[in-house]
Amino acid sequence: MKNPRILVVDDEENIRLLFKEELEEEGFEIGLASNGFEALDKLKTERFDLVVLDIKMPGMDGIQTLNEIKNIKKDQPVILCSAYGEFKQDFSSWVSDGYVVKSADTRELKQTIKNVLGL
Amino acid sequence: MNPVDLLGKIIEISHSNLELASRITSILNIISQDMRSEEAIIYTFDKDKRLSCRYANQRSALFNILNKYRCHIGEGIVGSVAQKRSPLFYTMRDIPPRFGCLFYPELDGKLENYKVFAFLPLADDSYLYGVLVLCAVNRDVIHDADKIFLSILSREVGGILRSYDLILSSKKRISELATLSELGKVLTSNIDPQELLKNIALIIAKSLNAAFVTIKLGYAFLKLDAQRFTYGIIDPSVQDHVAELEETSARLLRAVSMRDCAPDEYEDAFKLSLFSAPIVSKNRVLGTLTICGDKMEQTYALGEDGQYLINTIANYISSGLENTLLNTRLRDAVRELSDAQKRLIEQEKFRSLGEMTANIAHEIKNPLVIIGGFAKRLARQIDLDRTENKYISIILNEVTRLESILNEVLNYVKETPLVAEMCSINDCLDEVLYLLTSDSSWEEINIAKTYDPRLPPISCDSQQLKQVLINILMNSHEAMHGRGTITIQTKQTTYENRPFIAISIADTGGGIDPANIDNVFNPFFTTKERGTGLGLAISNKIIMNHKGHIDVENIAGKGVTFIIYLPAKNHITKEEFL
Repeated sequence: MKNPRILVVDDEENIRLLFKEELEEEGFEIGLASNGFEALDKLKTERFDLVVLDIKMPGMDGIQTLNEIKNIKKDQPVILCSAYGEFKQDFSSWVSDGYVVKSADTRELKQTIKNVLGL
Repeated sequence: MNPVDLLGKIIEISHSNLELASRITSILNIISQDMRSEEAIIYTFDKDKRLSCRYANQRSALFNILNKYRCHIGEGIVGSVAQKRSPLFYTMRDIPPRFGCLFYPELDGKLENYKVFAFLPLADDSYLYGVLVLCAVNRDVIHDADKIFLSILSREVGGILRSYDLILSSKKRISELATLSELGKVLTSNIDPQELLKNIALIIAKSLNAAFVTIKLGYAFLKLDAQRFTYGIIDPSVQDHVAELEETSARLLRAVSMRDCAPDEYEDAFKLSLFSAPIVSKNRVLGTLTICGDKMEQTYALGEDGQYLINTIANYISSGLENTLLNTRLRDAVRELSDAQKRLIEQEKFRSLGEMTANIAHEIKNPLVIIGGFAKRLARQIDLDRTENKYISIILNEVTRLESILNEVLNYVKETPLVAEMCSINDCLDEVLYLLTSDSSWEEINIAKTYDPRLPPISCDSQQLKQVLINILMNSHEAMHGRGTITIQTKQTTYENRPFIAISIADTGGGIDPANIDNVFNPFFTTKERGTGLGLAISNKIIMNHKGHIDVENIAGKGVTFIIYLPAKNHITKEEFL
């Protein structure tokens, strides 16, 4: 079986690097995007099993990006990943398939990814 | 003494500074002496307009007989002189027995001693003040000259009585005006209502020489502790009468005295000095004012006609109270407003502080995640000795600590407590409807309301609830393109054996496409061109926070009914409510 492909969207380069290395270790194939527009472009041309989406980003934030993604690919699984948890209360985040608060401890992120992918 | 000298003497006495009684008595002495009349007696009117024998010359023998009975106008000789305002003269032969008045049995056998009698009205052109009675032993006849002289004399005495009357009534007026002006000063001063009422009672008591003044407030308005303000001590013997008068005056909406309660029963001057008047403002009885005279004090200012004065005072008080009420309300409103403003500024400060904190936290959180994340990778990948391992675990522990501090800060910052209060759903609906239908786009929408008037108030955040109602009503409005009927119903019901209240809002907008019905509460789902798709999602979340739920009944082609269920007995704590 092919490795699941995950698109990590985050404006912080080192976060992207950390997630890439951590998730590759788990056997995922990782694509990277540094903002919402890049992510949408990538999603139009490539297939990803899951998008890990930062919320606070310059330009188009994660909530808007989430909305756009669901408009073009209704069934695209998306996990929101933000530095803080208050967006959990934000009803706009409910359409996402998961919500993870960023932490140095990546276990929760990995577990949520596995849950969403049904692994 | 010749008539001119006599008249001069009398005028001199009448203008002297002596007390009224001494002046009149002196004049009567002179008349008795000079007219050779053993009796010179004056009848005046008392409070209930009856003639009573008040003054006499020093040697009068009949005075103590005549003053035992008061006669009405028209009764007996004295009464008929008063009635006709013309003098009557008699001799021993034609004087009617007992002066034509059968209540003077002691006169029998006495009148034969006198040879002539004269009865003269004490009157000027407009007023009658009494009757002068002369009885002479040693005269056989009263000549015309004497008659003319006597009529001039009685006019003069009438004049004395009249000016005394005028002085009395103007003194009374002045004291009334002084009272009212004092009251006016107090009422327009901006002291607190409690002090105001105490001062009013004091001023009235002092200026009217009253034994006590008591103001009873019927309404629990002005938020006062006490409902009765009294100056002086309510005499226990009239306590029941005070209560009776207060009740009567409030019921009849006019000033009353004990005569109104039991017209003939009371002759007790003390009880008759009690007056009570309602304090009325805008047809509402705010309370009553009751004043009572002093047993000892002769100068009590509320006479038989006290109703008029007490009414005036009560009116003054009512306008004063009304003012104070307005003032209090104004002050409360200003205070609430400034409180609200302060809160708003605080909130704004807090909000920008929160935003700043959130931004900083975000900025710090990312580097922390990176530091911690890579430190973890280091720990896993490289073979480190114990010391280096310890260093790494210190870094990781400190990162974890910082993360938890940041989380706590963020949790604190984002906390926005919602206000749960008891509110009437019917009122909420009416307020929302009032707000919406004031817009012209609602002109062609017919609103049919069937509210349950006994709907119990429930605990909820009325602002959020109104937002839900507005969302649903606006959806209906759009679905009907501004034309149709919205039927709103409230009722009590049960859900899973617990009491709930149900608000149903039905429109005639053609209903929802059955394919979409399951999505109406999903965020971002919308069939509108410019909708965000969040209105019903938010509404649903709000109602769920209230431990309620929303049902949708859809009849495709006709319309849709949203039914909001809210628990009737809701004990939402702050924590649950967030």
